[in-house]
Amino acid sequence: MTDLALLLSFTVLAMVVIAGVLAARRARLWRVGRAAKVDWAAGLLALPKRYLVDVHHVVGRDAYAARMHALAAGGLLAGSGLALLGLIPALGDARLYWWLTALAFAAAFAGGGMVGRRRYPTKPARLSGGRFQLLPFLLAAYTGGGFLVALDASLGGALWPLGWAGLAVAALGGLGLALQIDRGPMRHAFAGAAHLVAHPRPGRFKGERATALAPLDLDAPRLGVALPEEFAFNRLIGFDACIQCGRCEVACPAFAAGQPLNPKRLIQDLAASLQPGGTNAAYAGSPYPNARPVAGIGGPGLPIVGEGAMIHPDTLWSCTTCRACVEECPMMIEHVDAILDLRRFQTLELGAMPARAAAPLMELRYADEPGGRPLTSRTDFAAGLTLPLISAKGEAEILLWLGEGAYELRYGRTLRALVTLLHKAKVDFAVLGAEERDCGDLARRLGDEAGFQRLAAENIATLSRYRFSRILTADPHALHALRNEYRAFGGTYEVVHHTAFLDELAAAGRLSIGALDQARITYHDPCYLGRYNGEVDAPRRLLDRLGIARLEMERSGKRSMCCGGGGGAPVSDIEGERRIPDIRMSQAAATGAGIVAVACPQCSSMLEGVTGARPAVHDIAELVLMAVEKADAAPARPVEVPA
Amino acid sequence: MRIAVLLSAGRHSVSGRPAPVPVELQALRLAVDLANQCGGQSGCDVTGLHAGPELGPLADTLGHGLGHLVHLRTEGAADPAPALAAALEAGGYDLILAGRAGQGGEDAGLLPYTLARGLAWPILADAAGLAPGEAPGTLSVEQALGRGARRRLVVRLPALVTVHPAAPPPLPFAFAGLRRGRVEMREAPPAPAVAPEVEERAYRPRPKLIAKAAAGASALERLRAATEAASGGGRLLVDPAPDEAAREILAHLRALGLPTR
Ligand code: SF4
Ligand code: SF4
Repeated sequence: MTDLALLLSFTVLAMVVIAGVLAARRARLWRVGRAAKVDWAAGLLALPKRYLVDVHHVVGRDAYAARMHALAAGGLLAGSGLALLGLIPALGDARLYWWLTALAFAAAFAGGGMVGRRRYPTKPARLSGGRFQLLPFLLAAYTGGGFLVALDASLGGALWPLGWAGLAVAALGGLGLALQIDRGPMRHAFAGAAHLVAHPRPGRFKGERATALAPLDLDAPRLGVALPEEFAFNRLIGFDACIQCGRCEVACPAFAAGQPLNPKRLIQDLAASLQPGGTNAAYAGSPYPNARPVAGIGGPGLPIVGEGAMIHPDTLWSCTTCRACVEECPMMIEHVDAILDLRRFQTLELGAMPARAAAPLMELRYADEPGGRPLTSRTDFAAGLTLPLISAKGEAEILLWLGEGAYELRYGRTLRALVTLLHKAKVDFAVLGAEERDCGDLARRLGDEAGFQRLAAENIATLSRYRFSRILTADPHALHALRNEYRAFGGTYEVVHHTAFLDELAAAGRLSIGALDQARITYHDPCYLGRYNGEVDAPRRLLDRLGIARLEMERSGKRSMCCGGGGGAPVSDIEGERRIPDIRMSQAAATGAGIVAVACPQCSSMLEGVTGARPAVHDIAELVLMAVEKADAAPARPVEVPA
Repeated sequence: MRIAVLLSAGRHSVSGRPAPVPVELQALRLAVDLANQCGGQSGCDVTGLHAGPELGPLADTLGHGLGHLVHLRTEGAADPAPALAAALEAGGYDLILAGRAGQGGEDAGLLPYTLARGLAWPILADAAGLAPGEAPGTLSVEQALGRGARRRLVVRLPALVTVHPAAPPPLPFAFAGLRRGRVEMREAPPAPAVAPEVEERAYRPRPKLIAKAAAGASALERLRAATEAASGGGRLLVDPAPDEAAREILAHLRALGLPTR
């Protein structure tokens, strides 16, 4: 072993010690958080799989980033590890060993080069500057220097002048990297690993969608989160895991619309407010668009939200809870949970929801309907159609949940189409009629957990009085509440979305479907169906049965873009530069489709609200009905003409 | 300043379920804002008062900013006025706020007047805004008049003020407020049931107040006739110079008592 190699080993040792001390100091801060149930053993055991499979599944969507990260992180860890183990004489004395080490450092150097290539000469807007711009140089210095030392050692010291130079830069770069561990880019390495172990939604790594919000204990002394120390500790770890890659920022509809929300900045502000005496000054990425001024100071026991704190309330209320940020985040951070925790405090403790959101919540409290409309007129849309009431039948195969859309004239047409199709397919179904209350989705997303829990309990009590095998709904928000969120309150139901159900009927031959000739259709995935529930295939299968040309938008499936209608955003109505549905509609128009197919009352009303020349908006049920009517009009069998 | 807000057992206008009365929640907001303005001074508080057999969802007023709610429990159909009058007399309040008329419908809106007469206090109707008066012991009231007009009045306290729906919206409901607030139940002494003083009169056709356009007039003329009748007063200026027009508008706004700079 050469002296230089020995010194390199000691450099790595020093780095490990420094990084360890800094990381431990940061990790101590996490302990101010609230307790949370974490299965440490299972988490630790699952760590390699969670990292190599789940994280890389997300990272791999950007092939360049995936290669870059594999080389840089893999090479860095391998090179440093080998260099450290070189202290063991049996290993350190083998020249081949140092060959291997040099190889690892070379790989890391190449990765570092890719990091630099991405950031220079021009840095993409989604990446952060500041300390992050220094990263490629530190990486290059440490890994390049390490390479030279290891190469020299593998040749038995033949290149010692180069080796010395290498050692000097390696020490500089290495210490620079180690010093970044608690605040700089390198924090994601240890916080990210800890986050994967203690992740608040472990179901995500087991193939579950795991998107239901956690119920809030309404008897807790304080409701929701106002201070960093009121977050569960594993949420705090999550904020620290952010690598500021900006993928969430690119996906965020509110950011694109110029509303004051940037999920990346939000996570950074949350991480910064954990630091005693923390400020938001170090952040060097894209700001909140049209940011409202805030003091930008925080600490573990200081409020997070407010003009005198870190995050402006408008930022909180801009979110549509579309989960696009969560879907894109390679660090598996749960932005929406954090936003909801903060909203819950604002609404439940302070009554500080946006001005226009107060009225619907009040109507919900006394009329079970956010528009204050009579529950008896929910079925008015069906005038002239037969709509069996379950209270008259007592039981039915399918319970049709109508949802809020039933009150809207436009969506009433969709529901009429659906009811007509159910009759045509001779489905045994019934509705709750005036017994159906709002499902509570709006209340819950606006932070009114008390209102949601009351509605859930009352709906569950109503449903328990009737016998049915499945609930059918055309509203993905109701679907998500009934299928996933009522479970915590004792309501377990098999809930099917109308697109899946109609697809089933068509597959079973219970609907004869003609062809909608020449139509070019693009399908807009509702967030609460696609991302929240993973249902992206059934609607497409159903559309494909209609004999149309189906075109895909630039963003579709689980990575689709929100219409702007979720999370109470339409009632919060935070001002931006553009409207989210306009952006989405222009993406739809870009496909050249003449029709945007939707599958949700919110999407339908948001997209119908877009002005100017644009594709027509139709719910899939309406399209299916058109196709079925085509089939009815055509002769049942083509007449065989004898030749 | 000690403020009492009278709260009645309302019903939601559509669902018919028991609910607080919106205009009384607005009164509560005016009271809370006023109490916050006297910031820190002792003896500044807001109490809610309800006389009736049950509190029901009136407890929700605690979520709308009320800290202390007194329930004067009366028998079923008993007249709430005596219980309220006694509690108000004993409470040492400086200001009593009520809605202009509970829920509308068959609510007469007479209770505040009955109470004011009993207490021998001045009563001022239809407040849309409240502020402490310049002289101590007075209250400046912004009174809502027809067609959006406002008038500023100053009353010497104690006084009873009814609140108009044009007042700012209620403070949003905060569930935790409901948990924090204090409800105090007091048994009210038995009182006779309300005796409605109803007088029957023969039906008399009344003249129509809306001006009618000549039969067969165009829609525009009918509209004009209907709106002109409802908007008397003012001067008609044809093609005035911008300066003159602006002066006229300002003068008109001032005449209506609206603040102009
Ligand atoms: S929150 Fe996730 S997606 Fe957003 S910048 Fe951080 S690591 Fe990237
Ligand atoms: S949930 Fe959607 S709107 Fe909210 S921060 Fe994430 S991407 Fe933006």
